[in-house]
Amino acid sequence: MAELFAVTQIPGAETGEIPPSPVDRDEKTAFIYSLVDPIWDIDTLPLTYTNSRWSAFFYRADEKVLRRVVPDCLEVEDDIVEFWYVDHNHTMLGPYGEWGATVATSHKAGDGKTYYAGYYPYMYLTQDAAIDAGRVLGFPKKEAFIRIVEHGGAPDDGYGVQDSKIYGFNYFSFLMIRNGYVLHSATGKYDDADLPAKPAFYGNTEYGRMNMKVVTSPDVAESRWELVYLPSLMTKELATLIGRPDTEGSHRFQVKPESIRTASAGQINWFMQATPYDNLGHELPPKELLGLMTFSFDLIIPAGQVLWTETYTRDATWSGAAKPYRYGLRHRFPKPIGLGA
Amino acid sequence: MGQQLNVTSVPWVDSGDAPPLALDRDKRDIISQGIADPLVDYDIVPLTYTNSRWSAFFYRCDEKDLNHILPKCLDLEDDVVEFWYVDHLHTGLGPYGEMGVTVSASHKAGDGNTYYAGYYPYMYLTQDAAVFAGREPFGFPKKIAYIITQEHGGKEDDGYGGFGNDYFNFTLERRGYLIHTATGRYDDAELPAKPSFYGDPKYGRMNLRLITQPDLMSTKWDLTYLPSEVTEATARAMGRPETVGQHRFQLKPESIRTASANAIRTWALCATPFDNLGAFMPVKEMIGLMTFSFDLIIPGAQTIWTQTIERTPEDIGDLLFATPYQYTMRHRFPKPPGV
Repeated sequence: MAELFAVTQIPGAETGEIPPSPVDRDEKTAFIYSLVDPIWDIDTLPLTYTNSRWSAFFYRADEKVLRRVVPDCLEVEDDIVEFWYVDHNHTMLGPYGEWGATVATSHKAGDGKTYYAGYYPYMYLTQDAAIDAGRVLGFPKKEAFIRIVEHGGAPDDGYGVQDSKIYGFNYFSFLMIRNGYVLHSATGKYDDADLPAKPAFYGNTEYGRMNMKVVTSPDVAESRWELVYLPSLMTKELATLIGRPDTEGSHRFQVKPESIRTASAGQINWFMQATPYDNLGHELPPKELLGLMTFSFDLIIPAGQVLWTETYTRDATWSGAAKPYRYGLRHRFPKPIGLGA
Repeated sequence: MGQQLNVTSVPWVDSGDAPPLALDRDKRDIISQGIADPLVDYDIVPLTYTNSRWSAFFYRCDEKDLNHILPKCLDLEDDVVEFWYVDHLHTGLGPYGEMGVTVSASHKAGDGNTYYAGYYPYMYLTQDAAVFAGREPFGFPKKIAYIITQEHGGKEDDGYGGFGNDYFNFTLERRGYLIHTATGRYDDAELPAKPSFYGDPKYGRMNLRLITQPDLMSTKWDLTYLPSEVTEATARAMGRPETVGQHRFQLKPESIRTASANAIRTWALCATPFDNLGAFMPVKEMIGLMTFSFDLIIPGAQTIWTQTIERTPEDIGDLLFATPYQYTMRHRFPKPPGV
């Protein structure tokens, strides 16, 4: 006879740390599916981050290249790209690794106002809930294998390494792989040099962040594009909602100045390639590498504002590029085992 | 001095092995974000699967439990649940593992039709494109998890051709917690019951999609429906008009193996802080396991019911369950390295 083992008690449900399932709540509080067990839920909000570690390579890109990866409704404001990795250990979405590219842009809205923002053409993360939460706001997130390493130069005794404010690590290594192909790797040593230039949005609170969200109907007959904007400063509404009115007008992204390390371009070994699954290496190559800046920070991510929309429709004559029951280069790669056991 | 190498060529586009780059195409051919390099691109359409391997445990569940998890727009049709794993090797989305639960349900639509379908309250996959190809247009409630589907034993092999498959092992893990595992040996017994949608083409598949606006002020609920049979439009889109009326799911009868409840050696199903399946759908009576190989096509879906929930600024406050910058057990788990 089969040995059946069933644990029906949800660990932590009794402490109030875990919200009830949406099927046991007011339906106004259900906002992500599945209805019975959402991929992320109300205990993600407000979405805050503590002591994450940001490592941003800066490089100049050809303006023609930037114009191509930025949607038509945006203007390119600067030729310096921020090409960044983040190590997140304490967030409302749990821990994860992240990578992205940010381009300085602006949008002239219908109301006559010009919105400035870092626009994200590419993003990769290591975890499903963080991907989905970002995609709701239009972040173009995919999943990839990401490694972020800082070490060397500061021997430790094994206590407090991750959470103490020790920024003495001298060497770095970053690596991103998807579907078996290396997209990017960089190694080197910090020299704490002054970098010759930074992206236009560094230190400029006028710049928020923008994404292009695409919502496709279940019958695939139309896709609605939405330009989503997140301001850089804490609004009065958000400061009130989180019970911290004193934060109104402060930057959502709080850099810890004492944590900054830099590496000049000459200190960096850099490899990047296009792959059959990810075209970043083809579409956004560096023209001139400027350096690397790494720092720790806290962050809050608010709801987004839709500035612009456009809808594309498909009739019965539209078809995809696949042949039924035939599989090619893009359908063959090592089978992922999931998030890793 | 640091060394730099940037490899920008894309020879697979020139050879025709990959479609033109997204930025070189008509915008109608972009079906998901990011628009420079979509997570789910149009070379998955039409979405087909070849020689996948399905392993379905059947069990009876308390009707109260089943009614608890169903959305208000659905009625329960059967107390036999399908609790399944799939090993996908050849698909338009690449290879992946999958696990899901299917419950027989019906929806009385405004047009007077009653739609019958297997409804999915839970699904897990091992791969991002497959998760979001399911979630974003269709409403499949997919998460990513560690999944192992294994069949082996019963005969020796020389490394070429087939190998034995008398024993089975399935494991589902997420965020450091075991959600489910089952092991055993097929005995090819007749199973005493199956879910009502087995062999009944009246039953399609249904999902509940929730699309929330970026400002969180509204959420649109869409009940999406996929019929079981190939429609004329899908057959035409595939260039296979002869498939009209066929089942989308082509089971290979010669590939079937079964295990009676007694041949299922171990079964562990656990609720975790991150996934409530073990709490909400416990087994009342185990019936058995059926494994088989199949081909499949997934078409566009129909929306048969919808409602929009509007929120006031006060309602938004109700969404903020967490304390800013304070983290609980739901925010603490082993950091995934990605896949």
